[in-house]
Amino acid sequence: MAGTSALPPPPPPQWVLELTAPTAPSKAKAGSVPDPPGFTPTTAIQSRQSKNTKGTAIAPRKQPSPEEMDTLKIKKAWELALAPAKQLPMNAIGMYMTGNSLQIFSIMMVFMLFKGPITAVLNIQGTFQRLETESNRAQMLGVKAAFVGCNMLALALGIWKVNGMGLLPTTRSDWLAWETARDPLERAYYVPSY
Amino acid sequence: MRVPWIAATFFLARSALAVFADEAWNVDYHYALLGLPKQSTSFFHQPNPSSRASLIYTLSEEGVLGAVNPRDGSVVWRQLLLSEALAYNVSFLRAGEGQDTVISGIGSQVAAWSAADGRQAWILDTAGPLQDVEILELSDGRETAGAKDAIALSGGEHPAVVRIDGTSGAIKWQYQWDGVDQPYQVSASTTEVFAILLHKTLLGYVKLKVVSLDPVTGRKTDEHVVSSENELASAETIVSVGANSASPIVAWTNSAHSVLKVNILGTKEISSFNIEAHDSHAVERVEIHAPYHTNSLSHFLVHYETATSHWADVFHIDLKNSKIEKAYSLPKMTGKGAFSTGTSDANVFFTRVTRDQVMTVSSASHGVLGRWAVAGFGVAAGPGESVEPVHAVSEVSIKGTSVSAVRSAVLLSTGDWVLLRDGSPVWNRPEVLASTVSATFAIPAEVQEFVQQLEAEAHGNPISAYIHRVTRHLQDLQKLPAIMASLPQRIVQGFLGTSADGGIASDSFGFHQIIACATRDGRLVALDAGNPDKVLWNQQVADLQLGQTWQPSVSSPEGGIIEINSKASAGVRYNASTGEQLFSILPIDETAGEVALPVKYAIHKGELDATVDTKMAWHFTPMSGERIVSLVPRPVNDPVASIGKVLGDRRVLYKYLDPNLALLVTANDVTKAATFYVLNTISGAILYSNVHSGVDLGSPISSMLSENWFAYSFTAEASANSPKGHQLVAGELFESLVANDRGPLSASANYSSMQTGTEPFTLAQTYQIPEPISHMAVTRTRQGITSRQLLAVLADSSAIVGIPYGVIDPRRPVSRDPTKDEQMEGLVRYSPVLDFDPKWYLNHQREIVGIKDVVTSPALLESTSLVFAYGLDVFGTRLSPSFSFDVLGKDFNKFQMLATVAALAVATFVVAPLVARKQVNARWQFA
Repeated sequence: MAGTSALPPPPPPQWVLELTAPTAPSKAKAGSVPDPPGFTPTTAIQSRQSKNTKGTAIAPRKQPSPEEMDTLKIKKAWELALAPAKQLPMNAIGMYMTGNSLQIFSIMMVFMLFKGPITAVLNIQGTFQRLETESNRAQMLGVKAAFVGCNMLALALGIWKVNGMGLLPTTRSDWLAWETARDPLERAYYVPSY
Repeated sequence: MRVPWIAATFFLARSALAVFADEAWNVDYHYALLGLPKQSTSFFHQPNPSSRASLIYTLSEEGVLGAVNPRDGSVVWRQLLLSEALAYNVSFLRAGEGQDTVISGIGSQVAAWSAADGRQAWILDTAGPLQDVEILELSDGRETAGAKDAIALSGGEHPAVVRIDGTSGAIKWQYQWDGVDQPYQVSASTTEVFAILLHKTLLGYVKLKVVSLDPVTGRKTDEHVVSSENELASAETIVSVGANSASPIVAWTNSAHSVLKVNILGTKEISSFNIEAHDSHAVERVEIHAPYHTNSLSHFLVHYETATSHWADVFHIDLKNSKIEKAYSLPKMTGKGAFSTGTSDANVFFTRVTRDQVMTVSSASHGVLGRWAVAGFGVAAGPGESVEPVHAVSEVSIKGTSVSAVRSAVLLSTGDWVLLRDGSPVWNRPEVLASTVSATFAIPAEVQEFVQQLEAEAHGNPISAYIHRVTRHLQDLQKLPAIMASLPQRIVQGFLGTSADGGIASDSFGFHQIIACATRDGRLVALDAGNPDKVLWNQQVADLQLGQTWQPSVSSPEGGIIEINSKASAGVRYNASTGEQLFSILPIDETAGEVALPVKYAIHKGELDATVDTKMAWHFTPMSGERIVSLVPRPVNDPVASIGKVLGDRRVLYKYLDPNLALLVTANDVTKAATFYVLNTISGAILYSNVHSGVDLGSPISSMLSENWFAYSFTAEASANSPKGHQLVAGELFESLVANDRGPLSASANYSSMQTGTEPFTLAQTYQIPEPISHMAVTRTRQGITSRQLLAVLADSSAIVGIPYGVIDPRRPVSRDPTKDEQMEGLVRYSPVLDFDPKWYLNHQREIVGIKDVVTSPALLESTSLVFAYGLDVFGTRLSPSFSFDVLGKDFNKFQMLATVAALAVATFVVAPLVARKQVNARWQFA
């Protein structure tokens, strides 16, 4: 009986230790799990340099090659160029819904419809300046042409709308004011008998 | 603080009222006229015997019987007794003393009318044309208690004297005679009825034969001849046959007006008086004024008139021994004068109206009981014309032995009927306008100048037009002091809405056009269309003899000028503003300048003949049995803004616009057919024709042609498949019925109807209308942009309606609903029945009687057309067929607009410092 009493108490189980022991964030553990992309912890701003050297999971971004950059820029430029075309269906529905009557809303919408493409075409150099390089200039021409074409489509939509509103002088009656009556060569006068 | 609010409430309340009251009674004017009153048929009479208030009754030369309120000159009631006015109709109007009816005689009809409201009591047709009507003032107990009996003398084949029951209009007795004696007049004393006959002698002289009749039985009691063998050359020198005075007389003069002979009816003695010549001029007119009442003193006044002066003698009849004595004379006065008789109990008063005074004397003595100076009659006259009284009727009110007031209704030589209370004019009625036969609008010379300046600016090149405008405004600056002086008044008037449009000279809208009316008796009267309350000028332009007719046509060939054309004189011109005759010029043919050889066409002997330079161009003979009813040429000045009609899908239907068009109406009295032709007046070609059978030719057929459309209306007799009804037909001529097609001539600049005869395509549509249209006209505007209204005179309802062209458009779709495009054009489905919308009535509540013609004229504003209708009544208005799109209406609230501006200004001033402080603080303060 005495032997059993001499035995030291068994160590507490692991869960007890974990329960009682204050949990300390382990740096190694934190360092092993990479942050989600785009997340920058506030503490890391100052010691970015040290962490970068310490962390093995964050690989340094490889600078894209100029060819890859060109491809990317062209891709981006195509996106920009085709954006007006994507708006066309929505514009068309809007135009259809406003009707052909001459009201302040339909007139304003038509005005915006004309103003958008024209200003876009006028600012075409500014729009594509960032994406234009010496090497992709030739490809950029096609992109710009597509951009102009898409804006022309929007403009055509506006013209269709204006025509629907009856604002285009396309019919005979629009030019009636410039037609003059024929002059008779003879005149007849009634002489009332007294 | 409260005053502005009260003012604001007042103005807003006023504007709220203005929303509902349109411009009726403001822009239109109406003279309810009777026509020139005649001396023998005008009198004061009390319609209600128990009241002393009297009305003036007259049966005018136009055959209109009416009662006029002497207080303000308004017509109490009137009746048209003649559908067609005759220049010198024979008519009679009598009212018995203390009676509530007046008895009229015109043509062969004797009628009694309620004096208070003009309702007809009875009407009687006599066998022949009436020669005289009198009221029998008897006291034999035979007549009924109410109305006194009338006696009428009728001529014709069987002349007769008829006694008519005053209550029922039944004939009590009739005395007829056979023979050659012509009936002349009838007269009645208290005991006998005298018929005065004219007996023609072998030598062609006239003898007066007096037949005495028993008033109870109508049997002849006596017959004798009063005048000697060769005294009377004709009936014209018979001065008077005394009416119901106590002792009726007959008076006549010799043909030289040097001897006056008087016979008391029922006796055989003739009293003879020499007419003293007061000056070198011969006596031209002798008239007798005697009281009508049986219980009045038997005194009478003889009025002598020479070319330059007039005087009068008063005679007394001694009833006992049937002697006539001259009592006293009224002195000679220069100018014309009018005498009238007034009674009070048995006393007789004579009122003398001359050009400068009104004077009342008693018949018993020559003492003047009242004398009032007449400063003026308050009527417009021609330059240098002196206004003379022609005849007068008067009512004398007596206080004790003196005359307290005299009211005289005086017809002046200008054709105005003026009421003088003592010596001052109270009202005047321009009755001369009732006989208007032709009228025209004329633009005043000042406005014409303005128009020409505007046209110069419109057609010049921009720079010179701008310089022209600046110089014009610099010249206008000279008027600035005058404008500044009148500015406060104008502002106040503008606020209160009482602003009368300015005068003729400052008329920038062209509303103040001058309307010149030529009347049947040879006068020319000018009215201002913008201020029609008074006559601008009124002068004699034709010296007509008695019975002579005048058929002038007035026109305005250019601004500020009125031209009269008649058979006697062609192209006499007058200044439109003042009426001065301009130097007489030879009638220059203005049409000759434009085109080398104009075609002239006229109706000649029932045919239409056209000549070019005295050579026959064409002539139009109606089919056998047909007669020409009317010819309406397209107006010479008929501007058309658009040569085509824009359809709903914006295509164009081209109008057939030819200035040489005329609408000819012929009628066949045997087959009861009316044919309507649209003619080309150059070639004489028939462009369109339509025959309507079963037309009531007794009803009016009216027609109208303007622009490229025509309209006519007639009354169709009942037939197997349609009832009797009035129809309005509208037709429109097109170059082609295919849209966008300009016809075979296409866009060529000019054309000759002689060489290329194009025919129009005509659409026509018939509408059933509720009543006949007696006359048609169309609105005219300056450039022809404004839509048109067809003005139709409705004689049956005494109205004028303006029918919008859209309602009678022949393109209205038949038996189907309009398509969307047609709806956009404003076309509605055709319905055969056209009811006149109450909103179309231009006259509103007024009765416009006897309209014979309507003339229209464009104002300077494109939206507005001036309308003037004449005939018996005179009516004028301004029309805006497409609404007043170019001028602010009366409903525009100037006060509200200015108050809004002022409120915004105040708000700006109050808020501005606050905003400035806030903006400064926004820069310097941090929260």
